[in-house]
Amino acid sequence: MFRHSRLAIFAVLLAAAGSALAAPRPLIAAKSRIDFSVKEMGVSVSGQFRKFDAKIDLDPARPENSTAEVSVDIASLTTGDNDADAIAVDKPWLNKIEFPKASFKSTSVKGLAANRYEVRGTLTIRGKSREIVVPLATEPQADGTLKASGAFSVKRSDFAIGGGEWNEGDVVADDVPVKFALTLGAAAP
Amino acid sequence: MAAAQPQSWSNPASVPAAYSLPARLAHWLVALLILVNFCVAWTMVDMKLSPAKLKLFNYHKWIGVTVFLLAVLRLSWRLYRRPPALPEAMRAWEKRAAEITHRLLYLLLFAIPLSGWLMSSAKGFQTVYLGKLPIPDLLGKNAALGAALTGVHEALTWLLLGLLALHVAAALKHHFIDRDDVLRRMLPWTRA
Repeated sequence: MFRHSRLAIFAVLLAAAGSALAAPRPLIAAKSRIDFSVKEMGVSVSGQFRKFDAKIDLDPARPENSTAEVSVDIASLTTGDNDADAIAVDKPWLNKIEFPKASFKSTSVKGLAANRYEVRGTLTIRGKSREIVVPLATEPQADGTLKASGAFSVKRSDFAIGGGEWNEGDVVADDVPVKFALTLGAAAP
Repeated sequence: MAAAQPQSWSNPASVPAAYSLPARLAHWLVALLILVNFCVAWTMVDMKLSPAKLKLFNYHKWIGVTVFLLAVLRLSWRLYRRPPALPEAMRAWEKRAAEITHRLLYLLLFAIPLSGWLMSSAKGFQTVYLGKLPIPDLLGKNAALGAALTGVHEALTWLLLGLLALHVAAALKHHFIDRDDVLRRMLPWTRA
């Protein structure tokens, strides 16, 4: 009897804690992707990062309380072309040895409409940080997961990605479009 | 012009004595582009990835597309203006060999650019003609297929080089040994 009531109290406390601190939805990595494309002489060469982590805590009722943090494993870059992959993570480009991670951390989130957000935050690549604005769209899925997607553009010159000969003669475009589609698990109860 | 029926390339019926000027110019232009493109390819494949390598790859692809377009024009022109007949003195098997070689050369003028385009698509590098005109990718990115198509592209190129050696040797033989007008009538400065 005594034991049962203690269990009941514990359950109530747990439930209360859960609603007060909405735990972020876990990232479902297998159903998430981050793609980019680099344009050389009019040719868009696409690639992906296969390994990344995201902690996204969206509060649709109070978007300003939302936070997003993404960390990308630079070495997981792949374009499908071995030479291009080797160059992309080499010192003049993303320099995976000195800067193994690129990251994004939100500083403010604004709700634009239902399932539409504007996320401001700091993007850090190669140890250099820039403020960026990322439009984010969410799409609740039938299985309780949430799809969060958006796109933004990275200027190579802002982060000194691919310097020297790579900036000569307009061979490689400065703008690198990035798009992401993340699947977030059902919110913790 | 005769009815557009397929006829043997060596059929002497109502054919001119020399190649028309457009046919001659297109022949030498294609010859030059093939030579340049082979040298570009030879240089670029062993280069370390760099902006210079990307440039050469793109130039190679643009030249390849140009050769393909010129091959379409040449073949169309050929149906409109018949090429001159081969010399009477040639033996039947020689005429046959010339015809087969010419057909194969035309086939390769199409097949080599096509295989290059497909291999580029499979490797994830779209062909954008002159950096402006994107040619749609028929194949998706697929590294294994890309490697296989590279083999096809190279094998067809070696076949082309072999046939070109035969083509040049035959032209020189006609000119210096048979002393006929087979080479002369293709020269750009020949009067039609």
